[in-house]
Amino acid sequence: MSLRLNISDEAALEAGLRLKAEDGIVTVLTMGPQKAESFLSELLALGVDEAVLISDEKMAGADTYATAKALNAAVRKLGPYDMILCGRRALDGETGQIPGRLASSLGWACVSNVEEVGIDNEGIVLHRRTEDGIEVLRCVPPLVVSVCEYSYKLRLPGIQAMRQAKKKQAKVLNASDLNLAAEECGLSGSLTRVTEMRAIFPGLRNCKKLSDCKELAMVIQAEIRGTGNE
Amino acid sequence: MNEILVLCPFYIDAGLVSQATNFGSVRVLTEARNVNIAVKCGARWVHCMEGLSISDEAAFADFLADKIGEWKSKIILAPAEIKMRNIMPMLAWRLKAGLTADCTSLSMKDKSLVQVRPAFGNSLMATICSLSEIQMVTVRPGIFRERLQTNPNVEIIAEYYSGERERIKRLSFSKFIHGKPLSQAQIVVAGGLGVGSKEGFQKLSQLAKEIGAGLGASRMAVDAGFAPYSCQVGMTGVAVCPDLYIAVGISGAVQHLAGMSGSRTVIAINSDPKAPIFDYADYGIVGDWETSINNLLEELL
Repeated sequence: MSLRLNISDEAALEAGLRLKAEDGIVTVLTMGPQKAESFLSELLALGVDEAVLISDEKMAGADTYATAKALNAAVRKLGPYDMILCGRRALDGETGQIPGRLASSLGWACVSNVEEVGIDNEGIVLHRRTEDGIEVLRCVPPLVVSVCEYSYKLRLPGIQAMRQAKKKQAKVLNASDLNLAAEECGLSGSLTRVTEMRAIFPGLRNCKKLSDCKELAMVIQAEIRGTGNE
Repeated sequence: MNEILVLCPFYIDAGLVSQATNFGSVRVLTEARNVNIAVKCGARWVHCMEGLSISDEAAFADFLADKIGEWKSKIILAPAEIKMRNIMPMLAWRLKAGLTADCTSLSMKDKSLVQVRPAFGNSLMATICSLSEIQMVTVRPGIFRERLQTNPNVEIIAEYYSGERERIKRLSFSKFIHGKPLSQAQIVVAGGLGVGSKEGFQKLSQLAKEIGAGLGASRMAVDAGFAPYSCQVGMTGVAVCPDLYIAVGISGAVQHLAGMSGSRTVIAINSDPKAPIFDYADYGIVGDWETSINNLLEELL
């Protein structure tokens, strides 16, 4: 599997870069295998000021608790920051837990599912999508925000920026850099355990092919009347 | 006897409350307007919140953490709607608890909650257990069926959230104009890429209106701009389990199946006889979707 940013992380990064245009510095922080370092370095060409990879074999198999703990340690070491932007979900697990856990670990507020991140003279303004509508929220830093994948499209690097970025490199932090003991990391630092993985998708049915829409209409009418097959 | 806490401050998932009664005595936290649902689904204690207004979900998570300390809850369930999906991880951190998101099946083995959720784009189902003293899960809304069974000893307790620790202010809210959430619809008419256009979806919405159905869409159709994201059924959208699901021009990607395989009856209309959706349907029509829908509308009118 090739390593890259997932689309909601890309949207979060773009939101961050646009805020930076107004004022500030942008750090990209991720956690993963050592080989993520090269793609992380490429992000420096987009205007990212610092790229940091948390990587340690001890961290393999981390659940959301152990992951948030490592991210918390890195944020404390690298910060202070005013805002942490995350993608709203990862591609593999799609748990969507990291923004909330990280915010809580730092004692910060957290707003999820955000489509628009803006700053005005009174603070941060977020447009947040729920099932029922769009909330406009006024927030004060520090704050964790998770960003929807369709809300921002990540910019492409300029040629000159790519040349300059070649001179810069991602920083790598391991467990001991973060003062984390082995038992706090990875599988042994996790609070959940996957006990089984099954590749079977349930729900196969016997399909009765209908010849025309008359038959179909009868099936639908029976369902509406509540006399369909239970 | 186990005690199960079901957190439904925004949206009550009646099926989840019913399911929880299989595992022990159920404590539900919900808004005043949903107290009746909690009661008729068998809650033993219903904590009722009147006029709840929350802008800072982290502050509300702190409030919940204090309450859970009082109640000594060890098993905590919540529907995986957008707000609870934000609050549960914060709460889990406060309670030093493992949390499994978006479960599609739950069972109890001794004192341990066996949690099943799809992983890796739904190609795998993972079974997960918590190692922490407190076990927490969010559950796909609409995955469990509601069962009516009032507990004769039910108690209703008023709770008050002051919101004084909130750091976020809600400036405005623009409500989407749609009826019942898709996850609660009894009939769903859903279209895929095969429907071909926004106009095509208008035809589906005409059928939906005719039979009192909600309108759904596959991810491909949403990505193509045929239907809004709020219609998206599947792994990255909403999960539905209606009495009747009509899939029109949907091929049946696993991600889509994940969101609708709990439907009682599934009808598929697709021009490709080899479309995987037919393997997951009870009834199928092979043919042009538009002709079929036109004929169907004629039959139904």
